[in-house]
Amino acid sequence: MRARIDLSRAALLAGAATLTLSAAFTGAAHADSASPTPSAPPSVLTIGVTQDIDSANPFTGLSSVAYEVFQMQYPTLTQYAASDFSIVPGVADSWQESPDHTTWTFKVHPGLKWSDGQPMTAKDVAYTFNRILNGEYEKTNYGSYVANMTKVEATDDTTVVFTVSKPTPVMDHLYVFILPEHIWSKIDEKAVTNYKNEGTPTDPTVGSGPYTMVERKVGQFIRMKANPNWRDGQRAVGEIDFKIFQNADAMGQALKKGEIDFAEGLETTVWNSLKGVEGITTVAATPASFSELAFNTGAALADGKPIGDGNPLLKDKALRQALAYSIDKQTMVAKVLGGQGTPGSTVIPPLYNQWHVDPATPFAYDPAKAQSLLDAAGYKVGSDGVRVDSKGDRLSFRLLFRTDNPLSPKAAEFLKGYLQAVGVEVTLKGVSEDALTETIGQGNFDMFEWGWGVEPDPNYMLSTFKCENRSYVESGTVYANLSDSFYCDPAYDALFDQQSQETDQAKRADIVKQMQQKLYDDVPYIVTYYANNHEAYRSDRFQGFVPQPAKDGTLIYQWGSWSYQAVTPYVAPTTPDGASTADQSSSKTPLIVGAVVGVVVVVLAFVFLMRRRTAGAGVASDDKE
Amino acid sequence: MALMPEAGLDITAPETSPASGSWASPGVRYVVRRILAAVATLIFVVLFNFFLFRMLPGDPVKLYTRGRNVDPEQVRKLTAALNRPLGQQFLDYIRNPFAANVDSVKYSQPVWSVIGERVWPTLLLVGVATLIATVVGVWLGIRSAWNRGERFDRISTNTTLVLYSMPEFWLGMILLIVLGVGVFGLPGLFPTGGLSTPGVDTSSLRGWLDVAWHLFLPVTTLAIVYLAEYSLVMRASLIDEMGQDYLQTARAKGLMDKLVRRRHAVPNALLPTMTLIFLNLGFVVGGAITIEYVFSIPGLGGLTVDALSGPDVPLLQALFLLFSAAVILANLIADLLYARLDPRVRT
Repeated sequence: MRARIDLSRAALLAGAATLTLSAAFTGAAHADSASPTPSAPPSVLTIGVTQDIDSANPFTGLSSVAYEVFQMQYPTLTQYAASDFSIVPGVADSWQESPDHTTWTFKVHPGLKWSDGQPMTAKDVAYTFNRILNGEYEKTNYGSYVANMTKVEATDDTTVVFTVSKPTPVMDHLYVFILPEHIWSKIDEKAVTNYKNEGTPTDPTVGSGPYTMVERKVGQFIRMKANPNWRDGQRAVGEIDFKIFQNADAMGQALKKGEIDFAEGLETTVWNSLKGVEGITTVAATPASFSELAFNTGAALADGKPIGDGNPLLKDKALRQALAYSIDKQTMVAKVLGGQGTPGSTVIPPLYNQWHVDPATPFAYDPAKAQSLLDAAGYKVGSDGVRVDSKGDRLSFRLLFRTDNPLSPKAAEFLKGYLQAVGVEVTLKGVSEDALTETIGQGNFDMFEWGWGVEPDPNYMLSTFKCENRSYVESGTVYANLSDSFYCDPAYDALFDQQSQETDQAKRADIVKQMQQKLYDDVPYIVTYYANNHEAYRSDRFQGFVPQPAKDGTLIYQWGSWSYQAVTPYVAPTTPDGASTADQSSSKTPLIVGAVVGVVVVVLAFVFLMRRRTAGAGVASDDKE
Repeated sequence: MALMPEAGLDITAPETSPASGSWASPGVRYVVRRILAAVATLIFVVLFNFFLFRMLPGDPVKLYTRGRNVDPEQVRKLTAALNRPLGQQFLDYIRNPFAANVDSVKYSQPVWSVIGERVWPTLLLVGVATLIATVVGVWLGIRSAWNRGERFDRISTNTTLVLYSMPEFWLGMILLIVLGVGVFGLPGLFPTGGLSTPGVDTSSLRGWLDVAWHLFLPVTTLAIVYLAEYSLVMRASLIDEMGQDYLQTARAKGLMDKLVRRRHAVPNALLPTMTLIFLNLGFVVGGAITIEYVFSIPGLGGLTVDALSGPDVPLLQALFLLFSAAVILANLIADLLYARLDPRVRT
């Protein structure tokens, strides 16, 4: 028996000792990797993100981080400029549309190389587009770019000729990642659906961008190493890591602590807590997205057959316009967003200033005007304070909000308050985005609160209001399509078709602005606000991020890899040399000592406790007898 | 287990009772019955799973492609592929519910390989925590009960009661802030999340230490919460046992107090705790969603939450099959073990 007790205690001690050792070791290991030498500039930029990539395969991945990785690896033919989203050269140096609008000729930059040293030519470009054109699965992410293409051909190593069936404005900004033929031709159309495309330290992903993937640990991190063959030469930052945090608070803390150098997608509260912290710069970026209150303007299938149980009163444009005057967007920005955003106007956010239009006659917040418009439209206040139409039907609507988004319930509360103030009854209901997607598709709603991310090209956003993009039926079941307001206006569709074939950007912009104005006036959506995107970074470690657009732009999650191409380690103005870095490395030592001491104390306390127990055991039980 | 014979719990004891025309000994029959019951439960779960997740609302393709430049025609095709007739889906499913070639909608990877990538963090986290909690919890419970009312018991019971009533995510956040971030000018000793440092090879010794360092806080949090439960249950059942006559007898034989405890009282009092431990073991695979979230650990808990948005039905189906199978298996083991520990259960 004696032996057994000793054994168990020995085991405990051994366990405790291992713990102590491991704490010390890992502490040391970490200190090593974090600061090689006090004066050396940091060479690994670690970015904290709140989402993992869903797939590193550019034919599969859809998440924002996945796109970030694609952009770093695979430059596109042309790019959106960092300063203002204008179109600038990428893989192609120049491009030309034929006068009859049937062909586009791109000149590929000569002498490009893939990261594995193979030459990158026009053939790779043609391969990529033909793969999408001839593919099925490959069309998932890029189908709309090749919709008008009939033929893609590399006539020599630096020339690609695209043949299109009709004038196609999207041709000079095809957001398709150019892939290396010598890698992807080995992955057939069946294998591509499951292909992971994840680089490993011994076998990095082959790309032609500034960084390529060398490692991914699912749900933990993605490591991108500088591409030695990048056209602009060596990068100052040798490695960029994305570290995934499910816990946004922890991500903010990690930035404060210096575990990460950049934090993307911070919640307002966390972001506020980082403001004014020494060594940290906070950024409130103007968003490429908007939030809206959407109306069921008459749910129907694409062929016009009505569906759903939406309140038919909302088909009345005059009613929706009156309601637009009742919403105090300014207060919503202040209260829902904590001031971090701007009141909304049209469905193309203002950061795309070549497309966005400021409405000619805005629906400024004016509840009195809303009331008088409602009176004029024949909606009289009923006995219970809720307005009724001439037939006595009450203005009573369901407003669905999203439970998965922390801002949505708040926004919905405010919207309800404003609408009630003008005599509209609102019933709030929270649902998941999944359920909402389906409910909307079936037309079983009156109003909902949601939002959209908007690309630099307005085509996709504007297409969501087309008649043909309303729900559809397949084998007896109704499925959602792009439209979620069921807006349908032949005049709008005509404008859409016009802009989708206008290759003169100035003329196209005119049409796009008319369309926004029309949507604004017809009110399928009330665009509530443009909520800022919150970022923060260690400006005492890195510098040179390029905002897109130049004014209040986002530093990462851009269209293009501008910041990653430009970022450099921070170099302190040459005063007492490298003071800040020295501080950091010295702060690691007490850390390790602290860890060791802490664990040793715990172990000692434990042993002491056990001693006393064993020694006193006999006496104690004797007492009890 | 070596203690069993003296405790009078030898299951080999009551040999074949003269049961009329029985084809096997009661022990064997018990085992067979348990296994059959487990298999039946599993079959039920397999069937139930299929219908359960098809009742969830949602339109995964639409949700995943929302706001992306996906051709509407392509979305239609993808949706149609997912929404084959229910009968056909059922046939495909029932042919082999564990089939390796079923792809997750969201990840476009075979579901079992998606799960495979996430299962180790969970097993590591919850497994280690359960192990620590079991050893320490049972030990604390025994000590407390044996010295009921003394200082050790008072401190231990009060502490465990407090710990037991703490929400685990709250405790996790506190530990994260105090030990991970650092407070009052103290440095943070542990990382704020994740399972390893980027760039450290996890197959090396340094990698292992790095993982241990990352796991310290989450494992501690979980262990503390579980430990409290085990310790309280163990204490209560041992106290029950301590009033029994056979212990008096043992003492009257002149046995040392320590031996009375180890050989007689504890083995009998272990039964409720055993049940609890095995029940919890079954849930190990399910992960600890809140702890995974607080410490950003990519486990099955988080994967389940991800899969629920969409919903990614094939993935959900596989996950719940795995969870159910784990619980059923743990229960089966508990049943069999219980029979070994307590012969009364066998008949």
